Amino acid sequence: MSVTAPVDERTEDESAAIARQRHSEGKKAERRLGLMLVAPAAILMVAVTAYPIGYALWLSFFRADLRTPDDNEFVGLDNYITVLSSDIWWKAFGFTLLLTVVSVVFELILGMALAIVMHRTIVGRGLVRTSALVPYAIVTVVAAFSWRFAWSQGIGWLAGDSAPLTGQWSSFWIIVLAEVWKTIPFMALLLMAGLALVPEDLLKAASIDGASAWQRFWKVTVPLIKPSILVAVLFRTLDAFRVFDNIYVLTSGANETSSVSIVAYNNLMRGLNLGIGSTMSVLIFLAIAIIAFIFIKLFGAAAPGSDEGRR
Amino acid sequence: MSTTTETTKTKSIWWVVNAIVLLYAFIPVVWIISLSLKPDATLNDGSFLPTKVTSEHYEAIFANDSFTRALINSIGICLIATFIALIVGTMAAYAVARLDFPGKSLVVGVSLMIAMFPQIALVTPLFKILTGIGLFDTWLGLIIPYITFALPLAIYTLSAFFREIPWELEKAAKMDGATPYQAFRKVIAPLAMPGVFTTAILVFITCWNDFLFALSLTSSERSRTVPAALSYFTGATTFEKPTQTVAAAAVVITIPIVIFVLFFQRRIVAGLTSGAVKG
Amino acid sequence: MAAAATLLLSLAACGGGDEGGTPVINLFGGASATGFQDLIDGCNEQADGAYRIEGNLVPSDADGQREQLVRRLAAGDEGMDLLGMDVVWTAEFAEAGWILPLTEEQAAAASEDTLAVPLETATWKDKLYGIPKHTNAQILWYRKSLVEKAGNGKPPATWDEMFDMAEKLKADGDPYQIGFTGARYEGLVVGFNTILSSFGGTIVNDDSTKSTIDDKTTEALGLLSRLAESGLASRSLSNSQEPEVFAQLQNGESAFSLNWPYVGSAMREAAPDIADDLGFATFPSAVEGQPSKVTVGGMNFAISKFSEHPEEAFDAAMCLRSPENQLKHAITAGEPPVNETVFDEPEFKKVYPQGPVLLESLEAASSRPISPVYQNISTIISSTLSPPTSIDPEATTKELEGAINDAIEGKGILP
Repeated sequence: MSVTAPVDERTEDESAAIARQRHSEGKKAERRLGLMLVAPAAILMVAVTAYPIGYALWLSFFRADLRTPDDNEFVGLDNYITVLSSDIWWKAFGFTLLLTVVSVVFELILGMALAIVMHRTIVGRGLVRTSALVPYAIVTVVAAFSWRFAWSQGIGWLAGDSAPLTGQWSSFWIIVLAEVWKTIPFMALLLMAGLALVPEDLLKAASIDGASAWQRFWKVTVPLIKPSILVAVLFRTLDAFRVFDNIYVLTSGANETSSVSIVAYNNLMRGLNLGIGSTMSVLIFLAIAIIAFIFIKLFGAAAPGSDEGRR
Repeated sequence: MSTTTETTKTKSIWWVVNAIVLLYAFIPVVWIISLSLKPDATLNDGSFLPTKVTSEHYEAIFANDSFTRALINSIGICLIATFIALIVGTMAAYAVARLDFPGKSLVVGVSLMIAMFPQIALVTPLFKILTGIGLFDTWLGLIIPYITFALPLAIYTLSAFFREIPWELEKAAKMDGATPYQAFRKVIAPLAMPGVFTTAILVFITCWNDFLFALSLTSSERSRTVPAALSYFTGATTFEKPTQTVAAAAVVITIPIVIFVLFFQRRIVAGLTSGAVKG
Repeated sequence: MAAAATLLLSLAACGGGDEGGTPVINLFGGASATGFQDLIDGCNEQADGAYRIEGNLVPSDADGQREQLVRRLAAGDEGMDLLGMDVVWTAEFAEAGWILPLTEEQAAAASEDTLAVPLETATWKDKLYGIPKHTNAQILWYRKSLVEKAGNGKPPATWDEMFDMAEKLKADGDPYQIGFTGARYEGLVVGFNTILSSFGGTIVNDDSTKSTIDDKTTEALGLLSRLAESGLASRSLSNSQEPEVFAQLQNGESAFSLNWPYVGSAMREAAPDIADDLGFATFPSAVEGQPSKVTVGGMNFAISKFSEHPEEAFDAAMCLRSPENQLKHAITAGEPPVNETVFDEPEFKKVYPQGPVLLESLEAASSRPISPVYQNISTIISSTLSPPTSIDPEATTKELEGAINDAIEGKGILP
């Protein structure tokens, strides 16, 4: 039961009128406070991104080239048709989707494991917590470059005499490795902060009731930290689907390892084709929106802003 | 007696687990450090640890003050951006998690949208805006986008934590006559600290590592941050990559983050102990 | 909070600008190269208040440089005066109206003693836009001892000879590989363009209105495919850029290495014993009896249309690329001069033993397609030819033709 739960007024007693009025005044104050508190964030976000996002959307309906700004021509959905009927796009899309699913699954499992270690360890806690974040702190391009070097035939310590960056699947797994290594700490940190709020006595009680560690984890911990899991997985998925740096450095998309962001970059920045590039950006956005929507539906009440989920 | 041996045993198990974590975190880092120490002659020898060690690449990055300037810019810009993003984000997240107000789902939806849109499509229009209002190549010109693009993550993370907090305490405070603001400041804020500091670390690192905006929205030492400076490093000739220098710089710029994390992870622990209040 | 905000505003307010009447020439591109600041300082002194060059840094990779320049030029940014441009950008920037054509007088000064092909790269629709600063061309690096073993000690003059020698070395268990930049990036386009030009082919017509892909292309693709399939290239071919090709030579895997002239001095640092055994020759020819037409690289200066000091910018460029400065920069950064006379300088000959071979290569050189949509064409070529093992000469020719025509017409999407 929550202070802000909507009150069904019809069932209320006449004598509660005063209380009700006070309540609605409180309600008003709450609304005002709520609006005041979100206002700075909302205004900033809209002020900075409204024009760029709107402009990208607008451009996606035009034939537009950065080099000839006066020759923009409205083409309706042509750009979308061009992109969606292209083999190049769908190959990159499939690769990106697979890469996203595989890396996020690994990241969640390993991130959870790391979170538990960081949360539970009884020795060297500060050391573990700080060190475990180092991979996330290394600049992505540099990390990617060091992986490329490590996996290059003859010059890298991991490659030895093999040339794994010249095959599609071996490249895929190296990209996954680079992604996962780098972002496990992101997951772990978010999950650990969630774990910190799981009441110890609840776990103890479950333990006394004879629940095994595994059961305690699934039955007590996981439901309680669901909001953290959702945020961690959601934001990782958004980022994973837009993977760029690692692929750009490791393979530049060779051997069919292009991601949708690589293709969008090539059209937007190399080709300076604002129309097609913007269209791809919008499509990437839509794809992510659909994924996010599925997640939020799956997690239901745990999603931010949903009223049912509040304790 | 038996408890002592038990704890010793548990402790050693934990040390083994910790060691695995350290290996995970540091093997690739050691490789980067190793690259940064290799002289040209052994760069391509494929050995994990350097067979010969040189400090010339570290000397090279500090040979003039442009790298130091970039470091100062990075630290300043990211600290300010993180600080403001946290304040603004905490306020918004509290409202989203706790208060009922019109347009809430809109705020939640829009901020997620911003987080989802590919940033490469936004850079050019952003560049135009910033040159238009004279903020191109200034600290503020980077701080504003960093805050903006950090806010969605901040709001989501923080509101997720805020919802896990036992709000009975807030109710109790309100019953004692506290206003919603007092309840927020005195009761909830301390409990929310683990979440806030977690978010601080994430926002700071995101800002610290950003390449795209750093490259596109700066042009001089006045505001150039470290990742941008890294991409300006050149090899001895056009076709040689400054591999070791970049590795050395990457090692150097990881140190401030480690300090930042060291500082804040204590707060996460502090948050934990205060969280025990609710038991 | 308030204090922080004021701090920010004051930081935002302090901008750069002209000081004391001396026009500042903002140079973007090239300025971060080794030894370049010395050239700038020297010219500033020489200018004696007529202008002051400010070297601005740009990313070290060509894509990153172009991205920045293009974004700012498209916005009509007045903060850029002189652009250090990759030789392949001229047509694009000129067609977009971002750079100024040189006046007749300026063009005459910029062309004096300058090699023809670098000038060609600086020209679009019969107008000279660029002031060539330095040039470059790949040459054949080879291991002298191995060439001795596999033949009569003379380096291979043609690809066929090179394949034969490599084959022989392989059979004998010696290092045999042919190093080639086969990764999906600009270097693959450079290599392909060299081979195609040597067969007498081109990629687009003179005014870049349609592709000129034909049976010469098929021949060139056949050669690339042969290299990839022969087992004589590195297994890392499809991921090899210059540093990898260099490493393959350094680590004793390559007997032949098609790379830029920097290999000589860099190998001296990295592996002196290999450097002692290193010989150089012109890039092997695709057709016996005909010179190979190597693709030029390098940099041209161009003046931004939005510059407030175009004349001073031209003077600054001419100073930065004066024969003395070309010589200086050839010595400090290994950037080959565009001025023929510099090749004769005793000082140059001393530090640049490969100079005569390079000059010979440059005189017969070719340029990559000169086209306003060069980046599109290049992206298509590098992705279509990657990995080189996937090349099927006939089919790939058709694929290239379609995709390049699409790019010229602004249709389709880039991979």
